[in-house]
Amino acid sequence: MWHSYEAGKKKGWFKPKEECPDDSYCVTDLNIKWENGSANALLGPSGCGKTTLLNVISGLLKPTRGKVLFDGKDVTALSPEERHIAQVFQFPVTYESMDVFQNLSFPLKNDGWAAAKIDARVKEIIALLDMGEIAHRSMAKLTPADKQKVSLGRGLVRPNTAAVLLDEPLTVIDPKQQWDLRRRLRQVQRQLKLTMIYVTHDQHEALTFADNITVMSLGQISQTGTPEELHSNPANPFIGFFIGSPGMNLLDCALRGDELDFGGFTIPAAQNIKVKVAGCGGSCKLGIRPESVEVAFTPKKDWPEFTLLTVENMGAYKVLTLESGSRRIKSRIPENAAVTEGAKLWVRFPEEQVKIFKDDVRIDG
Amino acid sequence: MGIELEHVSMLWNGVPYLKDVSLKIEDGDFVTLLGQTGAGKTTLLRILAGIEFPDKGRILVDGKDVTGIPVQQRSIAMVYQQFINYPSFTIYENIASPLRVGKRKLTEKEIDEKVRSTAALLGLTSVLDHLPEEVSGGQKQRTAIARALVKDANLIILDEPLANLDYKLREELRGELKRLFSKRHGAIVYATPEPIDALAMATKVGFLHQGELLQYGQTEDVYSNPSCVEVGEYFSYPTMNMFPCRLEKTGKKCFLTATEEFRVDVSQLADKLDKQEYLLGIHAYALSTVPEADRLLEIRATLDLAEVVGSDTEIHLTHKGLRFIALMQKIVSYEIGTEVTVYLEPDRFFIFDKETRRLVAKTSDTVSS
Repeated sequence: MWHSYEAGKKKGWFKPKEECPDDSYCVTDLNIKWENGSANALLGPSGCGKTTLLNVISGLLKPTRGKVLFDGKDVTALSPEERHIAQVFQFPVTYESMDVFQNLSFPLKNDGWAAAKIDARVKEIIALLDMGEIAHRSMAKLTPADKQKVSLGRGLVRPNTAAVLLDEPLTVIDPKQQWDLRRRLRQVQRQLKLTMIYVTHDQHEALTFADNITVMSLGQISQTGTPEELHSNPANPFIGFFIGSPGMNLLDCALRGDELDFGGFTIPAAQNIKVKVAGCGGSCKLGIRPESVEVAFTPKKDWPEFTLLTVENMGAYKVLTLESGSRRIKSRIPENAAVTEGAKLWVRFPEEQVKIFKDDVRIDG
Repeated sequence: MGIELEHVSMLWNGVPYLKDVSLKIEDGDFVTLLGQTGAGKTTLLRILAGIEFPDKGRILVDGKDVTGIPVQQRSIAMVYQQFINYPSFTIYENIASPLRVGKRKLTEKEIDEKVRSTAALLGLTSVLDHLPEEVSGGQKQRTAIARALVKDANLIILDEPLANLDYKLREELRGELKRLFSKRHGAIVYATPEPIDALAMATKVGFLHQGELLQYGQTEDVYSNPSCVEVGEYFSYPTMNMFPCRLEKTGKKCFLTATEEFRVDVSQLADKLDKQEYLLGIHAYALSTVPEADRLLEIRATLDLAEVVGSDTEIHLTHKGLRFIALMQKIVSYEIGTEVTVYLEPDRFFIFDKETRRLVAKTSDTVSS
């Protein structure tokens, strides 16, 4: 059994010659480690290099530079089969002329298993994925969600599968069924203690699926951590906005005496914040989560005034969009709070909740 | 401008797609038609637009019967789920296109003003010279919305316009659409399977279920008084928890009992309850693993799954075979399989008749009312 993977050691480790004529690298200088039995996600916008990285891990692509290690052993030169990696793609890949049972048996037949052993193993997988009802249905009659389950089942059927890589596996699935399938994936991952790496551009999918998330941007790792770490300690403004709902408020400001000036409104600057902002040239980007923005319905000393533009009821809470001059911020308040669009509100950014960024890098904490 | 549907029915190969739908849309309304795929939302939109004609019933605009009048002769703009733009036109020309084919000839200056102000509203100013293929999915759909807005139609119809956008963009556009549409005259009808879209944006909501309009009214009112189990379950996020329970009377006291631990005192509502079996509905966010003053009801449950959703964590629980969800409004990690205590607020239950599935009462209803 493989136990952990490490990818990348040296600078600039993959370069597809045809796609990037200007000698640019699709992904550069990545060092990531995935632990055995963990649920991981690779999250990032289209074109950030996440599929490239996935294909490097599986062995479908060879890196220009650097190494892929499984349990410390260099597997860079090995094929996907030799690495015992199963991959599930955006579109279900199955044999249309066979039924579900035959599809799942196929890899084991190729490996020369005895019929009785195949039967037992396939039944296990069918039970695991709750496919008893469709076991003898032909692929042509299945929904996309069930077909994708079969693709996954075929990846799991070999008992020595070291890892399952999933590349946007829910793209073609009806939204209602996406939840079910994702939940099933998660349960299977827990039950079998499998290492899974799930690629997606959707933060929602990544956060619900994975314990460990690697956010990528422009071929580089933006941050790695648990959902909570990414949420409460974003390494840069991109993560702050991308993770969490609504995303973090990000506001440019400048230090003027004892105040932070946001061009339209000011707030008093606490001593530690003052020092940090002064230390980076007197201007910064301030980040604060909507749930951390305090709101008052009557004027308070040093709380700047805002106009309530929009109230969005989200069921469990309300999202307020507040405006001062050309500056807009969001605040998240309890669902039972009574608010009226157009009203005046006063806000405070609690000092301990404020994050400070300079040139896209966190400079506090 | 007002639109009225009167007893509209629609058949498809003998199968009813819409069953006796009646509703009234007034000037300034932002109506969402909420329902699953196949509930009849698109059919209803097409009838409203005049693309499809009903088998029974009438459509009145300002009291005038327009049932047989096709879409071209009505003042309507449509936005679809797919981003439909002219691929060889710039974003500017795409937005200008409805103005160039209208009955009233506008001068280039008038067109330019309208295009630029609409583009500014939708944050498209910087991409006006680009072709649709050069802009993002969100900008493509904004262009389609700008085209609908610039036409200045009495009715704008949107069929799942945010469906093909990712979560972050949907979040952003919801707020923008609400602001945009609240400023204009006429009416908006917006079909969506997402309960949050309806709750966050709309002034009115209509819930369609298997071709029937089960409930129609002011958004807040439908949300806080779902007429039946189907509305309660669908028009909530996460899905409203439903607990089967029995009515038990002991002396002057009256309880709805789901399990030994799970008993809700409904003595004040006794005169409304004359059946044996009910369903207790409660929103996932009225449940918590953290005790607080008003969370008086305690039950023990096993944690099956915890999922981070946005800035919240949904936990899936089982209590004596009853499965339910609690929404924690922060990101927390839980160990799967552990026993937890769940705290509920007794005055936040909806009581549905198990047989008729109708809402009977709410535990927040006080005896004095």
